[in-house]
Amino acid sequence: MSLNDRESWGVTNLRLAFPKKKSMLFKDLSLDYHKGEKILLLGPSGCGKSTLLQVLSGLVPDSVELPMRADRHAIPDNWGFIFQDPDTQFCMPYVDEEIAFVLENRSIPRSRMHKLIQHYLDMVNLKLENSHQLIRTLSGGMKQRLAIASVLALEPDVLFLDEPTALLDPKGTVQLWQTVRRIGNGRTLIVVEHKIDHVLDFIDRVVLFNHDGEIFADGPKETTLARYHEKLDDFGIWYPGVWNGYEEKQFQKSDGTFGELILELNHFEVLHQKCVKLSIEELMIHRGEWIAIIGENGAGKSTMIEGIMGLLHTKGKLCWAFQHPEDHVQFVFQNPEYQFVADSVEDELAFSLRIKKMNEDEITQRVDQSLERYALEEQRMQHPFQLSVGQKRRLSVASAMINHPDVLILDEPTFGQDARNTFALLDLFQQLRQEGTTIIMVTHEMEIVSRFATRTLTIDQGKLVKDTLIKSNKGARRLGYGFDEHEHVIF
Amino acid sequence: MSKGKNTNLRLNLSDILVTIVIALVFGLVFRLLGPVYDLVKPFGLHLDALLYGIWFIAAPFAALLIRKPGVAFLAETAAALAEMLFAGSGGVINLYYGLLQGAFSEAVFAAWRYKKFSLGIASLSAFAALIASIILDAGYAYLPLLAGWNLILYLVFRVIGSVLFSGLFPYALVKGLEKTGVTQSLRPVTKEDYNVLK
Amino acid sequence: MDTVLTNTSTLFFKINPSLKFILISSLFIVYLFVQNLNTMIWASLFFLILYYFVSGLSGKWSFWFVLITLIVSLFSASAMILFGKGSHIIYHQSLILITQESLARGVLLGLRTFTFSLIGMIFATTTLPVPFFYSLMQQLRVPVRYAYGCLAAFRMIPIMAEEFMHIRQAMRVRGMTRQKGVKAFCERMTRYTITMLAQSIRRAQRTAIAMEAKRFSMTEKRTYFYEIGWSRNDVYFVIILLLTVALGFVFSSYFPLTPYTNVLDQ
Repeated sequence: MSLNDRESWGVTNLRLAFPKKKSMLFKDLSLDYHKGEKILLLGPSGCGKSTLLQVLSGLVPDSVELPMRADRHAIPDNWGFIFQDPDTQFCMPYVDEEIAFVLENRSIPRSRMHKLIQHYLDMVNLKLENSHQLIRTLSGGMKQRLAIASVLALEPDVLFLDEPTALLDPKGTVQLWQTVRRIGNGRTLIVVEHKIDHVLDFIDRVVLFNHDGEIFADGPKETTLARYHEKLDDFGIWYPGVWNGYEEKQFQKSDGTFGELILELNHFEVLHQKCVKLSIEELMIHRGEWIAIIGENGAGKSTMIEGIMGLLHTKGKLCWAFQHPEDHVQFVFQNPEYQFVADSVEDELAFSLRIKKMNEDEITQRVDQSLERYALEEQRMQHPFQLSVGQKRRLSVASAMINHPDVLILDEPTFGQDARNTFALLDLFQQLRQEGTTIIMVTHEMEIVSRFATRTLTIDQGKLVKDTLIKSNKGARRLGYGFDEHEHVIF
Repeated sequence: MSKGKNTNLRLNLSDILVTIVIALVFGLVFRLLGPVYDLVKPFGLHLDALLYGIWFIAAPFAALLIRKPGVAFLAETAAALAEMLFAGSGGVINLYYGLLQGAFSEAVFAAWRYKKFSLGIASLSAFAALIASIILDAGYAYLPLLAGWNLILYLVFRVIGSVLFSGLFPYALVKGLEKTGVTQSLRPVTKEDYNVLK
Repeated sequence: MDTVLTNTSTLFFKINPSLKFILISSLFIVYLFVQNLNTMIWASLFFLILYYFVSGLSGKWSFWFVLITLIVSLFSASAMILFGKGSHIIYHQSLILITQESLARGVLLGLRTFTFSLIGMIFATTTLPVPFFYSLMQQLRVPVRYAYGCLAAFRMIPIMAEEFMHIRQAMRVRGMTRQKGVKAFCERMTRYTITMLAQSIRRAQRTAIAMEAKRFSMTEKRTYFYEIGWSRNDVYFVIILLLTVALGFVFSSYFPLTPYTNVLDQ
């Protein structure tokens, strides 16, 4: 059967721009796809893949008005769309009501709804004791599967998936792709994704975009990926074996000895609404350690570092080796936007220095240094909210580091980051650690734990259950893009 | 209404949702102000009237942000409804105040045909909401029966408060928000934006 | 007595929300025109009793709510009590002038606010958002876009509250709270608000797009997962409410506690 016999949709000569922008995001872009195809769109962040997905589904311009025009714009009759953020896809409080919302939209008679709701939940393998459960009590992975269930209620022929696992942990990611793979049978799939480990096996066509929003390659999975393999690193794609693809680092991970004691916890408890959420019998942390805090979702990892930072009520002994810990300990939140306090990147960096009443010359000097080190010079005058995901993360780390703290505590710093930015950040942390900074981070990424951490703390159900020193020393591998002549990490 | 230029001034789902959410955010932030507000009440000197203006903020803010007909009224009504559903003090009173204040606030933007969204108009809209509240208070709280000086104090405080908190403050907030870039997708797309495609 | 208590408390949950909404908000009009102090005293007492039986709040919370509301309501009438017009002077010192008339008016005002708060509380603690908005669509023909808009927005409240906590923590970590003074306070409030607004606006937009991606239509016909109808409970509710209001009026004419039958009389 030739391709031409099948139904096909897509755009021809699409032109699209964002309002108030001088240049077009897409200039005369064409993309066609056929019924039953399974396509992966790959490209650097900001190249417009997500916007294109919305154009292909007709959400642009029907729901989102953007200046656009195209010679041909064919939209499938029945489609479903899965978005990135698990928290913004639902409009009802309960699981059953959310699927019912879709059935209502389709004017399905009420008498059939209960059975259908269960049917769609079963399809995504979402096993709940009672389908009348609050959505907000579900984990991120379960929410995304619910999103799929509610989209399946549209009985779609074509499914658009816009980085559905970007905000999920590794376990949720695997489960989600298993689900997609199962339900994708017989449907057309168009996927935008940065983490492609679990996507590749069911995809048959790959489309590659460059930084200017142009398609530069489009073809069968094997040949296209083989031919442009080096581009994947360039785009920051998480592909299988990405961690192994780098040479060994020249310096040693740790020699097993650390500096002086900087933090001591004894019979330490973190409280939330008068309940003990986390307890630690005893813990000593020394200068120059890289500590990874690991554990299941909801085990109390974030609670632990928030307790150490004094953001929650605590009991027991918490003793820093510093007189004014706030000058020596810095914290980076999971969502960098929460901690931005100024209207430009420059002021954001200078903020904590100004509070300390440092003289302006010194401030300017330090800010310039940071802008250079964190590759934010061009963004100097931009508003922090306008930065890309990677830049935001870098800015939040930069503004924490500008005080030259002794301890840097981070809550999932590589979460939602592409491979390129992740490796550069890890290089940076490694460098900081060698300069004597203690790194404490919560993470789900076991690759980071095994390659970088000198010690892991395992939290389970509010208790520190395991404390392991990692003495391995094959030495950490060389990651990222290396260092420039000033020994600065290249972002 | 003729088709063409005016069609993009109709509220779409995103406008409606954003407006209601804004009202809720203010409700949440000002819930924290609630205790402060109640604390200054007892002296009879109307110090609470100074802060009273903050309750008008949702309407002018939403209008400045989304710049379409109906959002000011919708914002204030949603705020009042939320207040009622979440058992704010005063209960059902809020609903009536919200409806009338929203309508008055909206009227000011309508009078300029939704073309002007300056600081002056924002303040005027806050002032209109204030008039609405005074009309209701006159009946509800027997305003005319207060001692003259006390009544004047009340009026002066309310005017200052409303212009400050619901004219100036929302204007500054919108300016601040514009810098973050999130406002861009809320505004109607203009002809110039389409010209880029040529 | 206990059985009555549980029966009524479930009863109020089963009433048609639109009916409850309309009747309860129309009470505002009724009491707006009551100028008889005795009526207001009896009415607030009877609504307190009603509140006691039907409120969905647990005892401890309920008690504090009533107490605080009563105090705040009386405070809000303090201007009337301390500086109102009147001729029968009770206490006079410089600007403070308490007269019998203004005292009566002040108490009436305070009780009125108190009563409305109680009524509001009865409504709030026995009405769930989802059935409420479904009923608004089905009985009062509120356009679906507003009803679902409200539902989607209300769903975000817990997320917003959590976010607010995080923002506060983050600003503390950044040293925002180390600056003192009025200017710093204003800056901090503005920063909180802008960050909250920016997040919420983006979230609202995304949710709206997701809803439309699920084929939510503002105009087309739809079916409903919940059909909110009428029942015998609605009749009981109307009777209970009418009885409460009527009792207030009856008691005030048979057992007048004060001589102020019209506080507007000079």
